[in-house]
Amino acid sequence: MLKRLALLILLLPVYTGSLARGTYQEPDAFLAETFAGTTPEPAVIWLTGKRKDAVKRLLGHRYPSLRIRYWQRGQRSAWILEEIGKDQPITTGVAINAGRLEKIRVLVFRESRGEEVRHPFFTDQFRDARLDDKGKLDRTIDGISGATLSVRAMKKLARLALYLDAETRKQHVTPAP
Amino acid sequence: MSRQHRRKHRFKLRSFYVWHRYMGISAALLTLVIAVTGVLLNHTEDFNFDSRHVRSDWILDWYGISAPQDMHSFPVGDRSITLMGEHLYLDRREIEGSYRQLSGAVQKNDMFVVAVSDSILLLTQRGELIDRLQRSDGIPAGIVQIGTDMHDAVIVQTSLDYYQPDADFLHWTRRDKVPVGMRWATPGLLNPRLKSALQNHFRGEVLPVERVLLDLHSGRFFGRLGPWVFDAAALLLILLSLTGTWIWLKRRR
Repeated sequence: MLKRLALLILLLPVYTGSLARGTYQEPDAFLAETFAGTTPEPAVIWLTGKRKDAVKRLLGHRYPSLRIRYWQRGQRSAWILEEIGKDQPITTGVAINAGRLEKIRVLVFRESRGEEVRHPFFTDQFRDARLDDKGKLDRTIDGISGATLSVRAMKKLARLALYLDAETRKQHVTPAP
Repeated sequence: MSRQHRRKHRFKLRSFYVWHRYMGISAALLTLVIAVTGVLLNHTEDFNFDSRHVRSDWILDWYGISAPQDMHSFPVGDRSITLMGEHLYLDRREIEGSYRQLSGAVQKNDMFVVAVSDSILLLTQRGELIDRLQRSDGIPAGIVQIGTDMHDAVIVQTSLDYYQPDADFLHWTRRDKVPVGMRWATPGLLNPRLKSALQNHFRGEVLPVERVLLDLHSGRFFGRLGPWVFDAAALLLILLSLTGTWIWLKRRR
C-alpha cells in the first residue's frame, strides 16, 4: 500500500504535466467561430523594417518568422500567433474587433505547466483591451501563481495582435518588401 | 595527572592533529570542486548555463558525443540545405526549430522553398525563416518531392497528386495533369569542409554547461567511481569537522 502511494506521489507531476499539454481548439475551428462559420481568405503581414523592430520591442525578441498570416473581414481580424512560455511555443488565437481585443484563446499548449492561462477566468481579463500610447495594454492583467511565464507569453501575444491589427489598417501589407 | 600520562596525552593529540591535517589536504581539491560548482549551479539562470553549450572538443569526446555521419543534403544553386539529426542548415546557418525527413529544396526568386517534416519552409537567402507552412495552412499531406516546372513554378508531389502554390504560398491547388519539364530536387554530396563544419556545430549544440556542472558537482563527470570518491570526500569533511572540534576542545583544556 505504502509503495503504491509512493509511486502515485512520484508519478503525480508527470501525470499533471501530461494533462496540461494538448490541443484545446483547432486553429480552423477558432477562425470559423470568430467569423461565424465563413472564414475569409488569409492575408499576410511582413515583419520587416520598423515593424520588425517594433515587434522585437513588444516581445523582447524577434518573431520566429518574417511574415504572419491573418484573417480580416470589416473591423474584425483574427491572428494565430505563437510565443514560448518556458520551453515550448503556446499557439494562441486572438480576435480583434475595431481595435479592441475581442477574445484570446489558447489553442495548443505544449508546456508541462501553466495551462491555467487557457481558462476564461484569465482570458476574460483581456476583453476590450487595447494598446495605450506606450504600446502597453490599457489595463492590468492579474497573473496566476505557478504560470508566470505562460501569463507573460499571453500578454505579449495580446499586445502583438493589437499592434499588428493597427498596422494592417495603416497600409497595404501583403506584398513582400 | 602524572608526567607519563601527560606525554601520552600530548602524543595522542598530535597524532590526531596529523590525521586531521592529512584528511584536510585529501579533501581540499574535491571540496574546492564541489564548492565552486555549487555556487555556479546556484546561478544557472543568471549565467544561462542551461542554454549555453559546451564546445570544448575534449569534454565532448569525454562524454562520447559525436555528430551523426548520416546527413541528407540538397544542393540549391551554389547553396546547400542539409538535415543532420533534427538540425536543418542553409549552408552553415542553422534554421530555428527541429526537423526530420528532408524531401527537397528549390529556389524561387530570392527565396528557398524547403519541404521538410510535413511542412514547407520559406527561407530568405540569409537563412531567415519567412514562414513555416503546415497542414493546417493548407499544404498537401505526404510530400514526396519538390521541384519546379518549365515555367519555374514550384510543384510538390505527394504519393497521389501534384500540387502548386499561389504566389504567396497561401493556397495550394491540385494539378490535373502531370507537370511538364519538371526539375525535381535531388540529394547531393556535401562539400567535406562544410560537412566537417556542420558536424562541429552539431556537437557544440548538444551538451549544456549546466549538465557538466552538475556532473562535476556529483562526481559523475569522473566516471562510475566518481560519485564514490565524492562520497568519500563528503565523509572526510564530516570527519574533519569532528576532529577539528575535538582538537580545539582538548587544546582549550
